[in-house]
Amino acid sequence: MSAVVVPETARQTPMPAGERAGRPAARRPAARRPGAGRRRPGLEAVRWTFLVVLGLYFVVPQLAMARFAFQNVPVVLLNQHTLLSRWSAASLISALHEPALWQATRTSALLAVLTLVLDLALLLPLAIVAEVRAPRLRTVLATVTLLPWVVPPIALVVGVAATFRTVAPGFLTSPLALVPFYAVWAMPFTYRAIDSGLRAVNARTLVEAARSLGAGLPTVLFRVLMPNLSASLVAAGGLTAALVLGEFAFASLLLKTTLPTYLVDYQRDAPQAGMALALAVMVLTALALGAVVHLLRRRGLGVSTTGF
Amino acid sequence: MATIEMIGVRKTFGTTVALDDLHLRVESGELVCLLGPSGCGKTTALRLLAGFEQPDAGRILVDGEDVTRVSPRHRRFGMVFQDYSLFPNLTGRQNIAFGLKIRRKGAAETAATVDRLLAVTRLEKHADKYPHQMSGGQRQRVALARAIATEPRLLLLDEPLSALDAQVREHLRDEIRRLQLEVGVTTVLVTHDQHEAMAVADRVAVMRDGLLEQIDPPRALYSRPASAFVAGFVGTVNRLRAQRAADGSWTVLGAPVEVADGAGRTAVSGTGVGAGSAAASSSSNDAGTQAAAVAHDLDVLPAPRAVVRPEQLQLAPAPAGAAPVARLVALSFLGAFTRAVVEHPTEGLLTADVLGTGADRLRVGDPVTIGVRPGAGAVVLQ
Repeated sequence: MSAVVVPETARQTPMPAGERAGRPAARRPAARRPGAGRRRPGLEAVRWTFLVVLGLYFVVPQLAMARFAFQNVPVVLLNQHTLLSRWSAASLISALHEPALWQATRTSALLAVLTLVLDLALLLPLAIVAEVRAPRLRTVLATVTLLPWVVPPIALVVGVAATFRTVAPGFLTSPLALVPFYAVWAMPFTYRAIDSGLRAVNARTLVEAARSLGAGLPTVLFRVLMPNLSASLVAAGGLTAALVLGEFAFASLLLKTTLPTYLVDYQRDAPQAGMALALAVMVLTALALGAVVHLLRRRGLGVSTTGF
Repeated sequence: MATIEMIGVRKTFGTTVALDDLHLRVESGELVCLLGPSGCGKTTALRLLAGFEQPDAGRILVDGEDVTRVSPRHRRFGMVFQDYSLFPNLTGRQNIAFGLKIRRKGAAETAATVDRLLAVTRLEKHADKYPHQMSGGQRQRVALARAIATEPRLLLLDEPLSALDAQVREHLRDEIRRLQLEVGVTTVLVTHDQHEAMAVADRVAVMRDGLLEQIDPPRALYSRPASAFVAGFVGTVNRLRAQRAADGSWTVLGAPVEVADGAGRTAVSGTGVGAGSAAASSSSNDAGTQAAAVAHDLDVLPAPRAVVRPEQLQLAPAPAGAAPVARLVALSFLGAFTRAVVEHPTEGLLTADVLGTGADRLRVGDPVTIGVRPGAGAVVLQ
């Protein structure tokens, strides 16, 4: 027998790395999950069935919409025999010639930009302070930003309108009156995007490193934090824009003409052209989203920054 | 280069006392390791030095100048973090130049300094890579270069090696020491790894529960631990019953031993705090957690205990008929020596190191004799 027995006392017990719990020690390559490479045929089939069913659920209504919008065929004749007949973009072209469309689009775009600016101005400093100085503030912020979603838009509008009618009657007449509503509405998304971005880059130690190297607040903000938050700021922007461009309830209740309310009104007068326009907007949005994702991937920032 | 002093520093978080009346002096050009288990306050001490936290009481002096309330950006200290904390949007070269640009050094001077540091840290080939394209060791070398680029008065290292794997860790550890000696910068390194601390430090400060247990050069820490905690945390120890003869001399395992007086705080009588933390006949692992765990379930023993290192014991196969004899229960070959675990009838499990080929005659399960090696040096009583 030779010396092979390792006694308990001789083993080195490494201490847990790092005292600050909850902070990743370092970004190590993720361990491979056991069995990740193996393919189980049963599971594969379930996965594909699920994907196909889900795909059909999304695609079929859109194809139907496309036929309705772009085929000059009476609705009752839209069947398998008329699948290829009389396709035309005339309805879309006529819809695009409405000046009111562009007016509504401009309003919505302006609203999206202002909403994002307001949200970032409110939440970026708060999120940074919470991450760097007061971690306990994080949970509070996460909860508070969610609160507006508990209140239905109608209640919000009525409450706010009642207040402003007495305090600043002029305010609600401008289309920009929607900005504060949208800012509140978009807060949970903006906050979570920023928060997860801050945590992904380990903002706290980045700030500490910069400060120990002599950096003042402007340097920390604009040369350390902002460049490394670009991915999550883009994500925040995308989410805010999507929300604002799709929001109907507030705009409708406050009688403002934004892109969604215009689309609804327009569809009432010209169903076919309205449908064509809706489809075009959807395709454009999808393309824009794809472009953003592609851009972030190429910059090596393809981490999940949305927090969901 | 500067002399750093922490005078009576106290820091609490809520009701938790992280540091209690810490006095620490780091001489100019010295490398001091703060060593201790998780939660002992060593990281807090470092963050106070860096200025990221403010002490509740006490002062921090740099060359006699009080910097307690000075913001981190004006302290001119360099800091290296456990998770590297490189700026992800900057290349290695730009990371190193960051502090120099803030200090408004000229472009030529900055480039020269960066090139010199890249050469010193052997990073020339990786200078234009982004952090996410580098290995952990490379990142930490960039972080080190970035921290010393601005010629800091004090270099602070917060567990710089614990995110790296073993081989890189050892290599970088030696590199840190080489660089520190070359630059001559006063350095405080926080670690929970005793080997790391012993290997690089001029002096090691062992901390426990917000208190400084002992600060001494590694060799003194090992041979003259001031308390049972230090003895258990630094290296492996056996705690054996010590008997006092009429003439005042001491015997351990029946052999006379030379007794050191410890490094000051050792309780020589069996009733002191030191004896309180001596476990009944134990050989304890070198991890501090175990020493702490042992300290909880002990019986306070009336007899004083001697702290004996495994290399101070000697083993031999027992001659036939000798009684009572110990039994060899385990052997593990560790290169230059073989570590043996022996079950002793009165002292319990003991750990002894056998040098060279001495272990060839030993078989697990055989009876053995165990005693203190003659001329093994003094033991510490507690």
